[in-house]
Amino acid sequence: MLNRRDFLIRSLRGTSLLAVGSVVPQFLVNTARAAEAGKDRVLVVLEMTGGNDGLNTVIPYADDLYHKARPTLRQTKEQVVRVDDHIGLNGGMRGFEKLLQNGQLAIVQGVGYPNPNRSHFESMDIWQSGDLLNKQGTGWIARSVPDLFDKKGNVPVMQVGPQRLPLALQGAASGIVSVDGLNPFRLELGGGNASQRQDQRKLLDDVTQDKRNSGGDLLQFVQRRQTQTFYALDRLQEALRAEGAGSGLNSLNQKLQLVARLIEKELGTRVFYVSIDGFDTHANQGNGHAALLGEIATAVNEFFTHLTANGGHDKRVAFMTFSEFGRRVHENGSKGTDHGSGSCLFVAGPGVKGGPVGKHPSLKDLDDGDLRYHTDFRSVYATLLDDWLGCKSETVLGAKMPKLDLIRKA
Amino acid sequence: MPSFKVASLDALDPEQAWAPWQPSEAQPWTLKWAGHLYRRATFGASWSDLQDAVRLGPEVTLRRLLEGLPGANQRYPLLQTLGEATASFRDEPRDLGGWWIDVILRGGHPFREKLTLFWHNHFATSFTKVGRAALMFQQNELFRRHALGNFRPMLLDASKDPAMLLWLDSNSNVKGHPNENYAREVMELFSLGVGNYTEKDVQEAARAFTGWHTDYQRFHFGADLHDDGAKTFLGQTGPWNGEDVVRILLERPAAARFLVRKFYTALISEATEPPAPLVEALAHRFRTSDYDIAGLVRTILSSRLFFSEHAYRQRIKSPVEFVLGAVRAVAAQEPSPASLAGWMESMGQQLFVPPNVKGWPGATSWLNTATVLTRNNFARTIAAGEIAPSDPDQRLLSAPSERERRRIELLEARLHSTMKLQPRAAYDDPVMLVEQNDCTAPTRVVAFLVDLMLQGDINATDRERLVASAAEGRPSGESRAARVRELLHAIMVMPEYQLA
Repeated sequence: MLNRRDFLIRSLRGTSLLAVGSVVPQFLVNTARAAEAGKDRVLVVLEMTGGNDGLNTVIPYADDLYHKARPTLRQTKEQVVRVDDHIGLNGGMRGFEKLLQNGQLAIVQGVGYPNPNRSHFESMDIWQSGDLLNKQGTGWIARSVPDLFDKKGNVPVMQVGPQRLPLALQGAASGIVSVDGLNPFRLELGGGNASQRQDQRKLLDDVTQDKRNSGGDLLQFVQRRQTQTFYALDRLQEALRAEGAGSGLNSLNQKLQLVARLIEKELGTRVFYVSIDGFDTHANQGNGHAALLGEIATAVNEFFTHLTANGGHDKRVAFMTFSEFGRRVHENGSKGTDHGSGSCLFVAGPGVKGGPVGKHPSLKDLDDGDLRYHTDFRSVYATLLDDWLGCKSETVLGAKMPKLDLIRKA
Repeated sequence: MPSFKVASLDALDPEQAWAPWQPSEAQPWTLKWAGHLYRRATFGASWSDLQDAVRLGPEVTLRRLLEGLPGANQRYPLLQTLGEATASFRDEPRDLGGWWIDVILRGGHPFREKLTLFWHNHFATSFTKVGRAALMFQQNELFRRHALGNFRPMLLDASKDPAMLLWLDSNSNVKGHPNENYAREVMELFSLGVGNYTEKDVQEAARAFTGWHTDYQRFHFGADLHDDGAKTFLGQTGPWNGEDVVRILLERPAAARFLVRKFYTALISEATEPPAPLVEALAHRFRTSDYDIAGLVRTILSSRLFFSEHAYRQRIKSPVEFVLGAVRAVAAQEPSPASLAGWMESMGQQLFVPPNVKGWPGATSWLNTATVLTRNNFARTIAAGEIAPSDPDQRLLSAPSERERRRIELLEARLHSTMKLQPRAAYDDPVMLVEQNDCTAPTRVVAFLVDLMLQGDINATDRERLVASAAEGRPSGESRAARVRELLHAIMVMPEYQLA
């Protein structure tokens, strides 16, 4: 344990070692290269809002019981994206074929938790807090923030999209920001025209740029934090302006492309959070559900393609999906599915061990009409926290969870 | 007397360092030191505060701060009733945080509130686990009651405080199955500090505290759950209970040293650890005064060390200090406490919700890319006069009944009438101040604003840049009001302004 003095000395020393030029602060340019070992890995979390139908996402096409339970929604051997002799992905997810073939797509099956709650809000809170009783009122990612900070005080967690801050990101004293078209991470410069705002920005740059030679270490520390903030802001604005400028962040693809650009800017952000809505498929879900899954598969594939092509950043990125619950095994009377439990999720990336993780839950041995889970979702969190992000999952989750074999050894 | 500028901290004679400072020709009482005193003892000064202070001198200024404004004692009971009501309406820490900000701004005793905040951070308890606004309010009252009193009854009251008992699991501390949570923290964080007790002491203290429970309203002693056997705690053996633990803790010399170090960080410097002799000199006085808090704080705030470069700008403003300091200096009217609380939260400090039992780590941890940006944006918003004004009706929204609403309205009216007795307005529009001080030339405008915000203390280059910007009429052309606000914005973004 560091005491306060060690912390202070370390953080002050850390900054005064760095030379700051008056124009381009060199210490900021080298952000990623100076990153501590293992501290440059990134996790992207995708929330699939509404309760994704896991049984029509990872489909046990070889099981007759599946076809009986889903007379109108079922997909056949020919329709699915084949994974092995038993399961296949929903036919909408052709976009995942490449990741699947490269062994970079883990399909975690039978994920859930004891005494499943079928309320959207309650169950979402449980997943996002990572706490079965949701007693803490804080999110699992927010609680990881102290482990995620780098020495430079970069923003460790970013939400991309216009939604309110999800519970998963709530409860951290600082270090989490939201970026979206309407409410970007932006320096306010008043209501003047563009050139007036530019002038005011220049004034701010001017009066904060010089290294403070007198006034002690604290003043120098503050000056560097300010310079770094402006630097990070500018990189962020560049990323926001690049390519589809003005196209907004309406689709998942746009959001993930922005995340990819932000990763390339090497801003030191460790976790990105995005979400996609529409999974509460109570009626006529067939085509709509396949399209949503297709949107995800295509966007994720393009995301990794972009990262690979632009500097090989894909190797330090893992991608994870989750939804608050699965749906009932038997479809309902309106060609849809009602709230259930026990579902599946995906973890993807070059650092991930591909293929199915755990067996597909039995369609015979049901729990009150739902699939039985065999893997606690917190084991997925624990694995990603410990083996990917280098955090301490026991502290974050308040429990020592068994881990899954998801991450390739470096 | 020579100033301490050149002497290293280790070379200081403790008696000299803590002796009362007297202004001298070499180091006169100026705006700079008045601002320094106001930043540390309160949440910052308005222009008229600074003018009064310079006129009255350090001794009278400090005495006035310690006493609070005339009328503060009549005003607090009204605010207290408002707080009680706020806490009873709903269990929302943001409401209570807004209430506290209101007390700081309208209560007329910012020094007492600064100490109350110090104790909130010392005995850091969070609403997230306690879950009851009424109990958080009750604890806040405890801190205020003892803020300038005596640490001995405070530690005892804190040990029996319902919010604290819930926060540190005391209800599950029973004979035969002790829960050590409170016993450990009372030593590690509230009185002695790490290294001044053993694991055995923790276990024995936990036994002494068995049966110290709460019924979620007040302290409750469960005699049948209390372990009245003999315990050996910090070398003393007897059938100790919680009161004995507090007594024995305060017999240890480490207790006064630990608290003096905390006050040193809060009032003198976050950049240095005080050398042991410097601590010991104060700790000795604190002990022999039987833990008189006001005496300790008065000694520190009038000392030569306090009025030296060892202390000057050697702290980073907490979000509460940053926000309320700006309000004191440039808000033209009473701002909405809820809106201020929102800003503080995005800067990393939500009142009643410290991150854990160690409190906010403070110092450099306040600043990261996200919180610096929030500070920058707050600076622009308040400089532009765009902070939402206080709306007394806001509190009424959460009032559950017509009767409660009428009660609140009545309290507000009475508060309002006590405010009218104040000799002058609590808020001054910075643009009007510039006018009143007859500043038209850019150098004069900049000089005044730098005096108001930084008490004149910036380097020549930055001053020239501000003047040049004002002279060129950038960015907004001829309107002096707009230019004043743009300059204020820039000054509040400067690194110097982040320091307390």
